[in-house]
Amino acid sequence: MSGTMNPRRDVVLLAVLAVVACAIPLVASDFLVSLALSCLMYVALSSSWSLFCGSTRYLSLATSAFFGIGAYTCALVLSSLPWIMSVALGALLAAVVALVMGAAVLHLRGTYFAVLTFGMTELIRHALTYFEKQFSGTVGRVLMEVPEPSTVYYTVLGIAVLTVLLAIVVRQSRFGLALSGIGADEQRAQTLGVNTRLVKLGGFALTAACAGAVGAAMAVRWTYIDPVTAFNPFIGFQTVLIALIGGAATLWGPVAAAVVFSVLAETLRLQLPQAYMMALGLLLILSVLYLPGGLASLRWGMVLGQSGARARERRE
Amino acid sequence: MGRPGGADMTLGAWAELVASGLIAGGIYALVGLGLNLQYGLMRILNIAHGEFLMLGAYLTWMAHTVCGISPLLMVPVSFAVLMLLGLVVHRLCFARLAATSADVDVFEARGLMVAFGLMFLVQNFASWVWGGELRGYDYMTSPVAFGGAQFAGNKLLVFGLALLFALALMAVLRMTLLGKGVRALMQSPVGAQLVGIDTKRLHPLMFGVGLGLSGVAGCLLSMAYTITPAMGEPYTVTALIVITLGGFGSMGGALAGGLLLGVIEALGMHFTNPSLKALLSYAVFIGVLLVRPRGLFAK
Repeated sequence: MSGTMNPRRDVVLLAVLAVVACAIPLVASDFLVSLALSCLMYVALSSSWSLFCGSTRYLSLATSAFFGIGAYTCALVLSSLPWIMSVALGALLAAVVALVMGAAVLHLRGTYFAVLTFGMTELIRHALTYFEKQFSGTVGRVLMEVPEPSTVYYTVLGIAVLTVLLAIVVRQSRFGLALSGIGADEQRAQTLGVNTRLVKLGGFALTAACAGAVGAAMAVRWTYIDPVTAFNPFIGFQTVLIALIGGAATLWGPVAAAVVFSVLAETLRLQLPQAYMMALGLLLILSVLYLPGGLASLRWGMVLGQSGARARERRE
Repeated sequence: MGRPGGADMTLGAWAELVASGLIAGGIYALVGLGLNLQYGLMRILNIAHGEFLMLGAYLTWMAHTVCGISPLLMVPVSFAVLMLLGLVVHRLCFARLAATSADVDVFEARGLMVAFGLMFLVQNFASWVWGGELRGYDYMTSPVAFGGAQFAGNKLLVFGLALLFALALMAVLRMTLLGKGVRALMQSPVGAQLVGIDTKRLHPLMFGVGLGLSGVAGCLLSMAYTITPAMGEPYTVTALIVITLGGFGSMGGALAGGLLLGVIEALGMHFTNPSLKALLSYAVFIGVLLVRPRGLFAK
C-alpha cells in the first residue's frame, strides 16, 4: 500500500506529538485548549475511520451514529458510573451496534453500503428522538455533574493516541493485511483463505468503538444533549472529508488533515460559517478529482515524480 | 386534522387524504425520476440532487418577488437554467471523473464523494446569498372543491405539472430515438457504445435533464410551500427511497414508487403520529434495500 512502512518511526513520532499535546493545557489559553481538543477529536475520528474504510474501501457514513451512541450512553450512565467506565461503555455499545449493523450490510459493496449506513444512522437518530418524545417525555438530557475540562482533554488525548497506535499496530498485523487485501480485491482475499466476513465485522466494530469513545468523552462538553446534537450528521461528514482529503490509505494523512481542518473550522466558523463549508465542499471535489490518494500522496508525486505516479498506479 | 380511525371518515375525507398523499407523491416522483436518470444511466448517485431543487425554488421565489414574473413562467426557465448548470457541473466534475476512473465501482465511489462536495457547496452558497430564513409567496391559494373534498388550487396545479413532466420524460424515453439510445445505455453501456451510441453527448445531456427536472420540482414546490436553504436534503433522501422502491434505473418504477411513498406517508401520518414520518420513510427504505435491493417491482 503506502510503500515504505516504518512502525518504529511512527511510534516515536506519535510519542513526540502526544507529549506536545500533553503540554498544551499547561501553557495555552482556554481558546487554544478547546481548539486542541477539537483537533484531537477529529484525529481520533478520522484515523479510526481510515483504519477500516481507508484500507477496505468500504465507504461508511455511520460515524455520526457511533459518535452519537457513545455520547448518549455517557449522558445516561454518567451519574451512576465512574467517568472512565462511562466512556468505555459508550465505546462498547457503539461496537455492538456496529456488529449488528455490519452483519446486515457488510455483504453489500460500494454505493449500497454507503447509502445504507447513512440511512441507518438517520434511522437510529429518528428512532431515538421518537422514543424520547413518546416514552421519556423529553427531547434531550441535561448533564448535571460533568468532569473537569482538563479530565475531558486528557481523556480525548488518550483516545486519540490509542487510536493512532491501534492504526500503527493493525497495519503491521495479519488483520491489517487482510483488511487491505479486501480493499484490493475481496474475492481474491477470500480465495486466499481470509475469512472476509469476520475481518470486516471486526474492523467495522473497531472503528465504531473508537468513534463511540470519542462521542462519550465529548458529550460532557455540551451540558445538554439531544439526538440532533449527538447524532449531528456533520460530524460524520467532516470525518469522512478529512480522511479522504488527507489520504485514507495512509497513517498520517488523516491526522494532519484533522489538525488543519479543525483549526480552519474553529477560526473560520465564527466569522464566515458558510465560506468555511463551501471551501470544504470545493476542496473535497478538487481532491477527489485531482488527488485520489489524498494530500498525503502529494509529497511523493512532487518529490519523486515518476515513482509517485507508479505508487499511485499500484494503489489503484 | 381528522380523527384517527377509518369508520367515521367520509368518502370526501378519504379522498382528501389520498389526494394530499398523491400531491406530495407527484413531487417525489419528479425528484426521483431526475435522480434515477443520473444513477440509472451514469451511476452518479447525486446526493446533491435536492440542493438543485432548492436552487430552482429560490430562483422562482426571486423572480416572482423581485421582478414580478409569474411562477408558471418560471417552470420552463428553471428547467433551462438548471439544465445548463447540470451541463457545466458534468463537464467540470463527472466527465473528468469518468475519464480517470479505472472501473465503474471506483467511479461510483468517487462520484458519490464529489456529489457530497457539491451538496456542501450549493447548500452553503444558498444560505450565504439568501440567508437561513423561511421564504415564500402566495400564489393561487383559493381552494377548489371536487365533490365533497376541497383542495388548495396551487397544490392541484403542482400535482398536475409534476405528473405532466414525469409523463413527458417517460414518453421521450419510450418513443424517441434519443430515448431509445438512453434506454440502450441503461441496459448495456458497452453494447450501446458498440452500436454507435455516443456516450460523450448523451451523458452530459441526461445529467442536465436530471438537474432540470429537480429545478422544475423546486419551482413547483415554491408555489405551495415555504422554502429554506436546508429544504433539499429531505428530498434527496426521498428521491433515494423512491428509486430504491421503484428499482434503480426503472422510470415507471420511480413514478409508481413516488406516488406510493406519498400515499404511504399521508396514511401513516394520519393513522399513527406525524413525528413518525421520517422514521417510517427510513424504515421502508432500509427494509426494501435489504430485502429487495433491485426494487419492489423487479421481475
